[in-house]
Amino acid sequence: MADLTAFQSWIAACSESITTHADDLTELDRAIGDADHGSNMRRGLSACAALADQEDFSSIDAYLKKVGMTLVSTVGGASGPLYGTFFLRLAGPLAASEDVGSREFGQALRAGVEGIVARGKAEAGDKTMYDAFSPALEAFESAAGSGAGLAEALQAAADAAAQGRDATEPMVARKGRASYLGERSAGHQDPGATSATLLIEAAAKTLA
Amino acid sequence: MIGLVVVSHSRALAEAAVALAAEMSPDDGPALEVAAGLDEQTTGTDAVAIAEALGRADDASGGAGVLVLVDLGSAVLSAEMALEMVDPDVAARVVISPAPLVEGLIAATVAAGTGADLPTCATEAGRGLDAKASHLGDAPGATAPPTEEVDEPGDWDAVEVSVTGEHGLHARPASRLVSTAATAAPDTRVRVRNVTTGTGPVDALSLSGVATLGARQGHVLRVEASGERAEEVLGQIERLAATAFGDEPGPAQPLADAAAPAPSVSEEPGVAGSGLEAAMGPAVLDQTVPEPDDLVAGTEQEEQDRLDRAVGQALEALDQLCARARRHLGDGQAEVFEAHAALLRDPELLGDVGRRISAGEAAPLAWQQAVHEIAARFEALPDAYLQERAQDVRSVGERVMRVLLEVAEPEALGEGVLVVDELDPALAISLDAGAIQGVVTRHGGALGHGVLIARARGVPVLTGAGARADVEAGTLIAFDARAGRLEIDPAPEVQTAFSQMLERRAAERQQALADTHLPVVTRDGVRVTVKANVSSVAVARLGAGLGAEGSGLVRTEAVFAQWHRAPTVDQQVEVYSAIADAFDPHAVTIRTWDVGGDKPLDFIPIEEEANPFLGVRGIRAFRQDPALLLDQLEALCRVARSHRINVLFPMVTSLDDVDWARARLQEAARRIGLSAPPHQLGVGIMVEVPAVAVRLARLAQGLDVISIGSNDLSQYTLAAERGNPNVATWSDGLDPSVLQLIRLICDRAPEGVVVSLCGELASDPEVAGLLVGLGVRELSASPSAVPTIKARLRAVSLRELQDLAASAVTARDAAAVRDLLTLHIQG
Repeated sequence: MADLTAFQSWIAACSESITTHADDLTELDRAIGDADHGSNMRRGLSACAALADQEDFSSIDAYLKKVGMTLVSTVGGASGPLYGTFFLRLAGPLAASEDVGSREFGQALRAGVEGIVARGKAEAGDKTMYDAFSPALEAFESAAGSGAGLAEALQAAADAAAQGRDATEPMVARKGRASYLGERSAGHQDPGATSATLLIEAAAKTLA
Repeated sequence: MIGLVVVSHSRALAEAAVALAAEMSPDDGPALEVAAGLDEQTTGTDAVAIAEALGRADDASGGAGVLVLVDLGSAVLSAEMALEMVDPDVAARVVISPAPLVEGLIAATVAAGTGADLPTCATEAGRGLDAKASHLGDAPGATAPPTEEVDEPGDWDAVEVSVTGEHGLHARPASRLVSTAATAAPDTRVRVRNVTTGTGPVDALSLSGVATLGARQGHVLRVEASGERAEEVLGQIERLAATAFGDEPGPAQPLADAAAPAPSVSEEPGVAGSGLEAAMGPAVLDQTVPEPDDLVAGTEQEEQDRLDRAVGQALEALDQLCARARRHLGDGQAEVFEAHAALLRDPELLGDVGRRISAGEAAPLAWQQAVHEIAARFEALPDAYLQERAQDVRSVGERVMRVLLEVAEPEALGEGVLVVDELDPALAISLDAGAIQGVVTRHGGALGHGVLIARARGVPVLTGAGARADVEAGTLIAFDARAGRLEIDPAPEVQTAFSQMLERRAAERQQALADTHLPVVTRDGVRVTVKANVSSVAVARLGAGLGAEGSGLVRTEAVFAQWHRAPTVDQQVEVYSAIADAFDPHAVTIRTWDVGGDKPLDFIPIEEEANPFLGVRGIRAFRQDPALLLDQLEALCRVARSHRINVLFPMVTSLDDVDWARARLQEAARRIGLSAPPHQLGVGIMVEVPAVAVRLARLAQGLDVISIGSNDLSQYTLAAERGNPNVATWSDGLDPSVLQLIRLICDRAPEGVVVSLCGELASDPEVAGLLVGLGVRELSASPSAVPTIKARLRAVSLRELQDLAASAVTARDAAAVRDLLTLHIQG
């Protein structure tokens, strides 16, 4: 089970992990995009991590909504509205919860991932963050369905996300800046799938 | 009236787009709101800011609706997200347009200004690309131009008007036509056809429709109106047309180069030279103008008529030169002639001549005296820019004098090999390459601006021939610039040999041109990059068209050689971007101002020195006051954010020079809010001072590129000034000492640093292979030499070039190296 403090630790861990990997993300983005993913995400998540100190939040969903809006206004690139939508939608099913279990988080994760699809209109195999989120959601639901707790289901989701991320390497991008490269985008791991995996891995470490 | 919102990653981009669109709309145009960038500097989009802008635009529109123009990627996603954030009632009145940002915004602004509703404005925005698509025809990616045919029966009144503006009915005049037609809408309809091209009719309310008429200067438009106020609106349009649609002909923009079409050298005979670097033909002499003494004056009226005719003829010639320079070399070069034409219209000058004629002088003498007087007055002024005008006055004076005294103008001399003292840029641009097969200069080196322009055009030039070129008109002259060989009145067998050599080169060049866009791989699989040296936007396009894979040297001091005042950062950004665009996707290496030595720039004063080549030149000129260098570096940092470019510092001698230059680059980056220069911006130095060659491993540490300036490296190694024909025998770049230094540089360059060679040596197809053998893998040559160099390198193996290089560095002297090259080519 995870309370508000756990969610705040999650966001802090996301910020730390993204900051650690910012240069790698930018490097990946340099290969197939515009070399700003690392710096954009670092800026966005640092702003999110600072929220907990700036404001007292009354609920998990209010906190996650603020995280979403903060990402929308600070990331700058396409990841802003995408991750922003993810957190805004994630907040929805958690509106009444003070302590979140695997069933509720599963609903929230589904809403968040569906938000990303609605916003970015991406499909599996387009070489986007969805290629990490989609297997992660599937693995989470399957683990939770067979009785796993939040920590166990999130670990399954993180493993699936990492596999999904690795699978983006040979793909040809069909969305975003990388799609301008066509066939040349193959052979590079997708930066969005990489950052998505970092966020889920951070969740596995903190939301339990 | 609907409101408009511009969503872009860059605030500067959005604000500039809005400023451009605002020029199109009358004072009471639509509300234009901007939601762009995370702040002034940081690129990105913010759905919250967009939602706020939607609110403002909706308020201003009074519920008429809001059209959103977006750039790309996250702008689209954030705009969609913003729609979910605003009041659903407002969201229902918002349309996000898929139109290209700038074109769509302009079309929508004009349509909105006429009071059109949201769906109409959205359609107009969507058709914003039509004019370009129609203009570019079959260009890849161009969509078919759906010209809006508005051919419906009814009672139509009509007038015909001429397009007099020098740029035709371009965007601004077209939008004025649309606005005027809108004053009578909707009860009176107006349509336009281009009678000259037979296009149309199109609805005069449609900016994109009007733009597809392709109305150029001189075209005739038929404007038809139907409805109550038909006569009134046609009258307004007639009056508008009489002012060139509000665009009275004015002087050309100094930067119009950037927008000029690529020079189509093959289209018009006489524009492109043979590219053979050799020529044979009768000598054509530039006739000097005799002193206008001993002239008997006719009546005052006769003399005044004579003068008017001469001025008229001179103006006509200047107009033609100007048009031609604009077509083929860009507006920057055309400006030289425009400035001259402006002087010929100067009422003060003409009035002064008139008074002298009234006093009984013959026209030529009156003209000469008036010109001298005005030139002297300019020279006495304290402002350096105005002093410079004295030269223009004299040049114009001579042009009119030639007409008055019936002495042929230099650009209309006849066929053959032109012999001149020096080749100035104006003549280099204007000479008819169809008639003039080559140029021999008595003085001046191979690197004068005029010579560079002629070379870029493919006109063979042999420089510094001295007294040997003092020949009678019509004497047969043959020369080969590659070998530095000049034959005056050659014997029949020499003539035959020359003809055969020219034929061989012509055949080789034709083949080389056919393959020039293929990369160069030697027979044993080594990749060599061949780039072009560039001195203007036009030359850049020429080089790209001839197969150059980027530019290894953009001579910025040549690009702005005609300028009297320093270009602003914005102006530089425009020009450098245009040059980089010409070579996209290849990289372009831009050298910072290389002034001093033989390269004066009006806007960078250099004190006179006893030994200018050993004095304050290159970056040395900015140590005291780096302001102009910082402006240039700022421009380069800005261009580097969207283009693949390198910056190159000239005349670096010491480690301190390198550190200082890098510190200035850092300073320039900070001026645009960056903590460091953009990582895409490669940094390099010229290697032209032997001291740098010797300590290269240390000095080039951490750089991305070094460029061997073989001209200066030769003159500094051999202590012989390159422009001085008296020491030409000592300043040969093929001297084995220079070749050894080049090999040393290639060997000592730190791992990962690209070694490029951009001097004249690289432009000689017979030497290019030797350079590759010495270790150079990137050559930057005169554009016209690119095809031949590429063809030659494809035909050889690195192995044999290395053998050639090994022999060359131990040869007795430059002449022996030349013999080796000849043997290698024949073998």
